[in-house]
Amino acid sequence: MQEARTSTIVAVVLLIFCAVMIGASYDIRDLGFDGLPATSWPRFILILLALVSAIHFIQSVIRWRKTATSSAKNKQELPTPSFQSRMSKYKNPLWCFGLFGLFLGTLDYFGMLIGGILFTFLLLSVLGGWSRRNLLMHTVLSVTSIGIMWSIFTFGLRVFLPQGEILGNW
Amino acid sequence: MLDVLIEASSQILLDPTTLFLMAIGVTAGLLAGAIPGFTIAMGVVLTLPFTFGMTPIQGLSTMIGVFVGGLSGGLMSGMLTGIPGTPSSVATTFDGYPMAKSGRAGLALGLGVWSSFFGGIISAIVLITLAPRLAFLGLEFGPWDYFGLILFALTITVSLAGGNLTKGVIAGLLGLFAATIGEDEINGVARFTFEFDDIRQGFAFLPVLIGLFAFSQLLSDVEDKDAARAPLMKKTAGRVTVDHLGAIKLVLSHWVNLLRSSMIGIFTGILPAAGSSISNILAYDQAQKAAKNRDEFGKGAVDGIIAPESANNATAGGSLITMMALGIPGDVVTAVMIGALMIHDIVPGPSFIQDEPILAYGVIIAFFLAHFFMVILQSFTLRIFLHITRVPMYTLVAVILAYCSIGVFSLHNVSFDMWVMLGFGIIGYVLKKLDFPLAPMILGVVLGKLAEVNLARAVSISDDLTLFVTRPWSLFFVLLAVISVIFPFYQNATEGSKIAKFYVPVSVLALSAPLFLMESPFRAGVGGLLIFISVFLAIKSLRSR
Repeated sequence: MQEARTSTIVAVVLLIFCAVMIGASYDIRDLGFDGLPATSWPRFILILLALVSAIHFIQSVIRWRKTATSSAKNKQELPTPSFQSRMSKYKNPLWCFGLFGLFLGTLDYFGMLIGGILFTFLLLSVLGGWSRRNLLMHTVLSVTSIGIMWSIFTFGLRVFLPQGEILGNW
Repeated sequence: MLDVLIEASSQILLDPTTLFLMAIGVTAGLLAGAIPGFTIAMGVVLTLPFTFGMTPIQGLSTMIGVFVGGLSGGLMSGMLTGIPGTPSSVATTFDGYPMAKSGRAGLALGLGVWSSFFGGIISAIVLITLAPRLAFLGLEFGPWDYFGLILFALTITVSLAGGNLTKGVIAGLLGLFAATIGEDEINGVARFTFEFDDIRQGFAFLPVLIGLFAFSQLLSDVEDKDAARAPLMKKTAGRVTVDHLGAIKLVLSHWVNLLRSSMIGIFTGILPAAGSSISNILAYDQAQKAAKNRDEFGKGAVDGIIAPESANNATAGGSLITMMALGIPGDVVTAVMIGALMIHDIVPGPSFIQDEPILAYGVIIAFFLAHFFMVILQSFTLRIFLHITRVPMYTLVAVILAYCSIGVFSLHNVSFDMWVMLGFGIIGYVLKKLDFPLAPMILGVVLGKLAEVNLARAVSISDDLTLFVTRPWSLFFVLLAVISVIFPFYQNATEGSKIAKFYVPVSVLALSAPLFLMESPFRAGVGGLLIFISVFLAIKSLRSR
């Protein structure tokens, strides 16, 4: 039941996405040249996507109804997991996304070297635990791994990685 | 051809830097393949940023090293712990692990290594013979035919991706749509940019790929808090010595199985999007059916190791054929390689072998050579692998995520690419959790622009849309696309149903039609043969009622 419900929500989100994008496709400039207009291919994809999403919606509703009927008969409906329990399942990936976003957001300030070390250290500690032994290991690991990679790209491959305000001013 | 081959060989064999890079690539591949949760594609994706500063031949040789190493690395963990390192070595575990457990770990590893070696060498020979010929065939293609080929590549990816067909189609269409964002290739008009200047150039292919594939995979690996903190493998084997001589003798004495499995691998590789994860199981299944002693399978049968290992390495050669001759990625790994070539302003396609003969033959030489490196380095990496198994997954994830960001930034020196990687990482992770296959989306992103450009070319040459089904090659690929769309229904059909009975004969019959339109006596002959096969199969299935 839960799965069918999720599928229905996904299908609705996809249909809304298609509607928004089809609307946005009317903002694409038409140059009036012969041949394939810039709008044709994306609109074709979006219409196809909308159709398949509609099929997915119908399939999920049918499945939802079936599971609802069978669970009503068997009275074996499993309790829906709470929002908190669902979030705790995805705690680690959410931390990864959050910390990575923070790393990118502060890149101009910290730069790739300091920012990279901080990001790796924080992520290692969030995922692996904050015990004293772990903190020491995470510090060594983040400094050496990012230091080596930064050196390879900066000196070996001659890539100008973001310096950041701290290192830039220093 | 010989002079080009010699020139390409000398560029690799006489250049110590290339040889060194290949050795590193093979070692990295062997390790990436051996670690469960890591895939070969991820290994190749992560190698890519290092290749920016290399020459195209050095870059491709390194990536081929990772590819070949990865295909063979999976057998180490599969045999020693029972957990396959990559999906391409799942079937190896069926007999490799029982053999290792019975005290013959050295022989099991030897069989795996040498089957991989011979399978790879056979496919390298086919690659060098077939790729130039297939490329000549590709020169006949017009934009209609190319569009048909891309359509087929996408539909077969969707149908082979497994799971829900609707979800596969949605994923493929999302990939195609992502490729339309930014400036239109033909008219230079901005599309779906919503006034953001950064998006005007569109999404670079590699941040999208790394986000969708590597980022989402890494996050899945650390979802379980306890598993992420535990060592990669709880069961770790002791020190093992590979029995090379005994294994070579056994592999060569089972040459029929070796040859059959290698051919299965090559054919699977040639098919767009069908990779080694499928070929190893197909080859194992065929080896079991052909074996006299079927009862031994699952208990440590020699044929049960030779079949999947020779097939998965042979698949690599097959997918390289499609990549080099037609410019269509055979799997995610070759999709990354196409991306790498594009970074060096080289566009693979039917004219690739003619335009860049040294590079094209260099790829073949590198593929050939990588197998020798793999045999030499396997024993060495086995020791490193046993140490790595003690490392918890979370440490690898954190370091690799940081490395991904450095690698993605170095592509264009633009921070926006890292945001793109994060964005597609989130999309990839969410889609994965919702059971959407990612392979169709990745192929959609890779092939989207190519599809649109060919469609635009076709429309600008003629506004007659029937050409998509009246030109022989185009019709051939459209029919293949239709056949591949119906394939999942055939797979799920109950025995005795109409679709189960007539799918194969009707498909074969349909494919004969475009061959007759090709105005070549040989192809008409092949068409006639297909009709004969189709009638034979139809009668056989009618009689089996």
